[in-house]
Amino acid sequence: MEEQQQPLAERLDLFACIQCGKCTGGCPVSIRSPLNIRKVIRESTVREDLHIFFNRLEIWDCTTCSTCAIRCPRGLSPVDAIIGLREMMVEEGKIEKTVIDALDGAYKYGNPWGRAKNKRAEWAQDLDIPNAMEMEPGQVLYFVCCAASYDPRIQVIAKSLVAVLRAAGVSFGILGNKEVCCGSEIRRMGEAGLFEMLMEENMKNFAKIDPGVIVTTSPHCMNALKNDYDGLGCDVKHYSQFVWGLIEEGKLTFDTPVPMKVTYHDPCYLGKQNGVFDEPRDILKSIPGIDFVEFGRCRENSLCCEGGGGRMWMEGTGIGKRLSEVRVEDALEMGVEAIITACPFCLLTLEDAVKTTGNEEKLKVIDLMELASMAIGNSPETENEF
Amino acid sequence: MEKVAVLVEHRQNEVRDVTFEMLGKAHKLVGDGGEVIALFLGDASQKGLLDMFSPHAHRTIAYLDSALKDFEPLRYRAAFENIFENVDCQLILMAQTAFGMDLAPAIATKWGLPFTTDVVDIEVTDGNLVAIRQMYSGKVNAKVSLKPSDKVLLTVRAGAFPAEDIPKISGEIREISAGIEGDFSGRTFMKYIEAAVGDVDITQADIIVSIGRGIKDADNIPIAQELADALGGVVACSRPVADKKWLPKERQVGTSGKTVKPKVYIALGISGAFQHQAGMKNANTIIAVNKDPKAPIFGIAHYGIVDDLFKVVPTLTEKVKELRG
Amino acid sequence: MDIIVCIKRVPETAEADLVIDKSKKGIDTDGLVFSINEWDNYAVEAAIQLKEAQGGKITVISVGPEENNEVLRRALAMGADEAIRLTDPAFEGSDATAMAKILAAAIRELPHDLILTGVQADDDGFGAVGVALAQMLDLPYAALVTDINLEGDTMTVHRELEGGLEEVDKLKLPALLTIQTGINEPRYVSIMGIRRVAKKEIAAKGASELALSGNEVGPEGSMSQIEELFFPPVGEGAEIIEGTMDEKAEALVKIIKERGGVA
Repeated sequence: MEEQQQPLAERLDLFACIQCGKCTGGCPVSIRSPLNIRKVIRESTVREDLHIFFNRLEIWDCTTCSTCAIRCPRGLSPVDAIIGLREMMVEEGKIEKTVIDALDGAYKYGNPWGRAKNKRAEWAQDLDIPNAMEMEPGQVLYFVCCAASYDPRIQVIAKSLVAVLRAAGVSFGILGNKEVCCGSEIRRMGEAGLFEMLMEENMKNFAKIDPGVIVTTSPHCMNALKNDYDGLGCDVKHYSQFVWGLIEEGKLTFDTPVPMKVTYHDPCYLGKQNGVFDEPRDILKSIPGIDFVEFGRCRENSLCCEGGGGRMWMEGTGIGKRLSEVRVEDALEMGVEAIITACPFCLLTLEDAVKTTGNEEKLKVIDLMELASMAIGNSPETENEF
Repeated sequence: MEKVAVLVEHRQNEVRDVTFEMLGKAHKLVGDGGEVIALFLGDASQKGLLDMFSPHAHRTIAYLDSALKDFEPLRYRAAFENIFENVDCQLILMAQTAFGMDLAPAIATKWGLPFTTDVVDIEVTDGNLVAIRQMYSGKVNAKVSLKPSDKVLLTVRAGAFPAEDIPKISGEIREISAGIEGDFSGRTFMKYIEAAVGDVDITQADIIVSIGRGIKDADNIPIAQELADALGGVVACSRPVADKKWLPKERQVGTSGKTVKPKVYIALGISGAFQHQAGMKNANTIIAVNKDPKAPIFGIAHYGIVDDLFKVVPTLTEKVKELRG
Repeated sequence: MDIIVCIKRVPETAEADLVIDKSKKGIDTDGLVFSINEWDNYAVEAAIQLKEAQGGKITVISVGPEENNEVLRRALAMGADEAIRLTDPAFEGSDATAMAKILAAAIRELPHDLILTGVQADDDGFGAVGVALAQMLDLPYAALVTDINLEGDTMTVHRELEGGLEEVDKLKLPALLTIQTGINEPRYVSIMGIRRVAKKEIAAKGASELALSGNEVGPEGSMSQIEELFFPPVGEGAEIIEGTMDEKAEALVKIIKERGGVA
């Protein structure tokens, strides 16, 4: 692996920046954080010594939603400058304890929560899911995700997805305890070396399995496997893409009405970064009884929930109002009963925001697969009380 | 075990509780025919402390010297030269405390006394001593034996033995004022510093009283603070409490807050969501108080009370205060 | 300034389900994650911060088999200059006293102004090697150190006492300190950082190089020995305490006290 000896500005071609400010103009966290990504780019090009950034907590406010990269008229990726600065801090070891713990956890235990490896597949112990290592080539590999494996709230999503896949007659396997973190957040927190290690371990197992398609719970896993991993060789789909495909092929139909007025929150990693906007909506609209309303800020303009880019493990500056709380307030104004999400981090941060704003009685946060599972006749798995 | 000596632990003009715990255990070990000897190192100005514990020993040896006014291991070690000449015993008990940890291994090593530390129980069968201590985050206990020897040393965990109902015998007190010799310039005690009010690092606390949304209002936090004060611990919280700014962020336990490993973690009105659990699951003893029997916290707690914290906590605080007297 | 840090490689057991092995004197380490003892990590960071401030050389030492090179290498990546591994089949089964003898034998041959150890280890929680080592080397020492201020050839340290109280002591160098957690914030060691020191040599010394005979180390050189390990009785999930409010509170106080929860 090559050393990054090149100065950051050169490596990312930041001298091409025309300082138009479209990046900062679209940056969601700039509503609440002193982070000014345009200025960060400017300073990266004029300063010799980037250690000045080491004390700037706002570097850790960035959620890597990548709105800046999408808007840049020069095709630059300002978010990579943030990641590059984080990499410098990681190399010198000067990072927050919570980030250290997440990185250490991923290194030692294959997941940023430091949970035991041999408990990773406990969520599936009564579900009789085949071991992917024993599957024939060309099959469906379900890549579960650390959050879905260990967090009881997110395990519900995994179980719902399993129920939906089975209802559609799809056979699939999981890696079980051999699955390790996709490394998406690890890379975005600046530990490139650890990301490579995790990638190599997963790739080794994927090579043995030779799947036809990998289906993920999380848009972060999907994005990492699809866009960050080198030479995967097979298709990677978020569950919304795969499940919509099943519906289109007539393999899955929703018979049980779920009468609910809902809105849908586009996860940044699914929508903005990978252009998957329609499939989740199509799934929602095919559930009988659903009364669907769009957020004002939807699709490419979705308001980042602040769960990505390592933000699950760090607070950054902690200044201002959480965007997830703004989102909750917007949803309440719209009079919906629930916000539907398609990402574990979105679900956790929005649910947290419902609680901290004291709105548990008024608004629920539900994953798309939980809804889908109800629509095929299963009762809700969670009382949504965490 | 015929004779057991106990090193009295005292500081800032108080005899610390662990001294009585050791004296109590010493009595149990020697039984009716044996002798419990209390060893006191200090200076003449501290003689008043002798009456606090000497009624519980058959014999108290008070080694008084101005050089011993403050706890200084190099000087205490020198004093032990004299103690070993004057005191005959099979077992010396010291506490596994900041003082004891700073002294016991040096004494044991210098005089070649077989020793083990932080014992939570001591058994003597047919003259053979077996100590029980904990290992591996308190998950596994070990029976430890010592090399046969005339004299052995054990350090005892504070709180492992009861300090109540210790026999009273009013034994003799013998003062030794011989000067201690040696060059102690290697280490000099300067002063004590009291904990600053408001400087709380929850990651260093042994006892944590943690509050969650169940506390309902910032105005209710004092009941948790009172319990923490009574226990000598600190107050921490889960994220919703910190988010509402009812407590500073430094008190938050969880994935985006602090990770703590106290001896005792008392979770009041905390549901125990995954992100919170990640920050406290390694606490030695987790006690949960929550109205909801299905709260996830009960899955990782060692002990639980399913009840209203507003009823439990005041009663608990009262009982703790009674204990401290 | 020559600083020596003694470090231990220990299993992480807080999350794991432990199994007592067939001998009943140890645990089954299959599948356990090993890393540097937490206290020792703080000690290494303390040494590096002293070196960054005052210059000097840091040597890290560990007693154990080849796997111990992992923690030694990580310490090198963190900023230590040299690493030595003390290894010999005769060292197995050494208790704290025998360990201290092994370390003392190695350290006597090395220039040392300051020796740092952790207060205790994650696995046995013994808390004695550091002070025993100081005794064997006849050095002034202080245990449970939470702050170090070097002033030429003396230093002022803070010791952590109970209940938030601190003790301030002055020591003359050379000296030994046992380091308490929380003294600093240990820096992260990246994968790339560890790769950069992958080729650095770690010297290995055995009993004969250290002039230690068989009866000075291992079980023969030990003062204590584990007879048997056993699990303390424990219930499934939380043991729910029942009774009247008074009874519940009393039961709870008893538990808290037994678990060291009344400072």
